[in-house]
Amino acid sequence: MGIIKKIKALFHSDWCSSCQIAMTENYKQLFMLPMSVGHYVSHENAEYYKKNLVKVSSKKDIPIGIYACGIKKYRCSKCGNNLVQLSIFLPVRNQEKYEETIYFKNGELDAFIDNNR
Amino acid sequence: MENKKIKKINLLYLLGYIFIPVILITICYLISYNFFREGTMCVILLLGSPFISIIWWIFGGKIIFKKNKKRLENMFKEQGLVQNNTFYGDGAEVIVDVNAGKIGLQFFWNPTESYIISAKRIGKAWVDDGKGGVGFMEGSSCVSFLFTIDDVKVRVYTFKSNQRFKMNSDYILTGISKADKMVNVLETARQNDK
Repeated sequence: MGIIKKIKALFHSDWCSSCQIAMTENYKQLFMLPMSVGHYVSHENAEYYKKNLVKVSSKKDIPIGIYACGIKKYRCSKCGNNLVQLSIFLPVRNQEKYEETIYFKNGELDAFIDNNR
Repeated sequence: MENKKIKKINLLYLLGYIFIPVILITICYLISYNFFREGTMCVILLLGSPFISIIWWIFGGKIIFKKNKKRLENMFKEQGLVQNNTFYGDGAEVIVDVNAGKIGLQFFWNPTESYIISAKRIGKAWVDDGKGGVGFMEGSSCVSFLFTIDDVKVRVYTFKSNQRFKMNSDYILTGISKADKMVNVLETARQNDK
């Protein structure tokens, strides 16, 4: 594996960590995270998200001042590795205030995603 | 209580807050000049009174406001109301029971009064994002939500700074979101008030 490719992979969160190639996105869904503005607390535990995320069809369905969470699931076409990316943000009018991105690499949210397809 | 006219500033308190320490300093200086020109008492009178005054100006109001906020919250509970939403601003505290359509108000500069009013008395509620400047200077240094109660305008800051931030900065967006949320809460309470 070329060193340049390895360095490039460092800057691409949606690249496979072992094959260093871009993974394909096979799931994308918006959820409401019931935390209000000014009271955001970071959670690393997948159980928290399984319990609290509420599926919504668009940002309009999220009440004012409540956080949103975009979930994307990627799969490596070469080795079959999965990666789930959670982007947490606060929708403010027509803008978004980014909070943080959390990754789950060991299938912690797979069952949850299957239930919310 | 419900129909009491809203008074944001108690003028006596405001003047007392500013001038009582000034009067105290003057009295101490006069006593020192006439009776204690030197010695320990002179030091106490000349340094003690300004020290106490500065402490009062910095912390006095905040301590009184904190106590009054608690009083308002207790009054809210005593009336069987639920504190659905609370916003702690620098100059005012706003508590809302959305379902009952009741609003609790406590102002920093009016410590003698705590208000619990019907949300119907709110005439209008809106957000002021403080946007100013043009081009690369465009931005804001404060965001607030405003509402009128019987034509008395109440402004509560959700963000305030001595610097100007771009309109898409985290500070401004958070301030706008808080203000939007409070306006929405106030309007919902007004609709729910029968």
